[in-house]
Amino acid sequence: MTDFKALLRALTEGGVEFILIGGAAAAVHGSARLTRDVDVVYRRTRDNIAHLATTLMPYQPYLRGAPPGLPFRWDAPTIERGLNFTLTTQLGDLDVLGEIVGGGGYEALLPASSLIRAFGVECRCLNLDRLIEVKRAAGRPKDLEALAELEAIREERSRP
Amino acid sequence: MSPEERSSIDDIIDVYKRDVDRTLIRQRFTRTVEERLEDLMELQRFAEELRRAGRRAFESDD
Repeated sequence: MTDFKALLRALTEGGVEFILIGGAAAAVHGSARLTRDVDVVYRRTRDNIAHLATTLMPYQPYLRGAPPGLPFRWDAPTIERGLNFTLTTQLGDLDVLGEIVGGGGYEALLPASSLIRAFGVECRCLNLDRLIEVKRAAGRPKDLEALAELEAIREERSRP
Repeated sequence: MSPEERSSIDDIIDVYKRDVDRTLIRQRFTRTVEERLEDLMELQRFAEELRRAGRRAFESDD
């Protein structure tokens, strides 16, 4: 099980610049759908990569779905030479993404994000309109039902 | 969105949208962000418990 509270607190208190996207962001906007991981887009600066590496290191990140025993090291060089990582951690499944289809990287998404407050910390979450756009751009059949719910949420929000 | 801008994906989403429980959405609007994320964790716990129950049932059938 993914501990959303602990992951968001760890990332925020670790000084990581990130934007919450995906199913957890959908839940923030009012989705009732189950998601099992936390998806974040992180800022690709040297400092932030260092924060991301040191913040998650205690939780033993490992490549999700990879066979055990690979010489994977969660450190700044690994993050710098990679981009998107789907991880298991002791706090649950976490996708740390440098870029997303249809959305780009942190800087591109930043204007379409807002600060949210939960569990005693403040973090950025992608706005509903942009979340819908990137889910559409991903073009995955499994997202179509989620998109229907997100669009319904948008319609309900705009009701007088 | 104008008809020219629509694609078949929009038509599919509209089909799914008919089944969206809007009462549930309105109910969730009354919850804080933190409560919505806590609800998600609770749903995860519930789903995991069901999975465990399913595994136990199938194992006892074998």
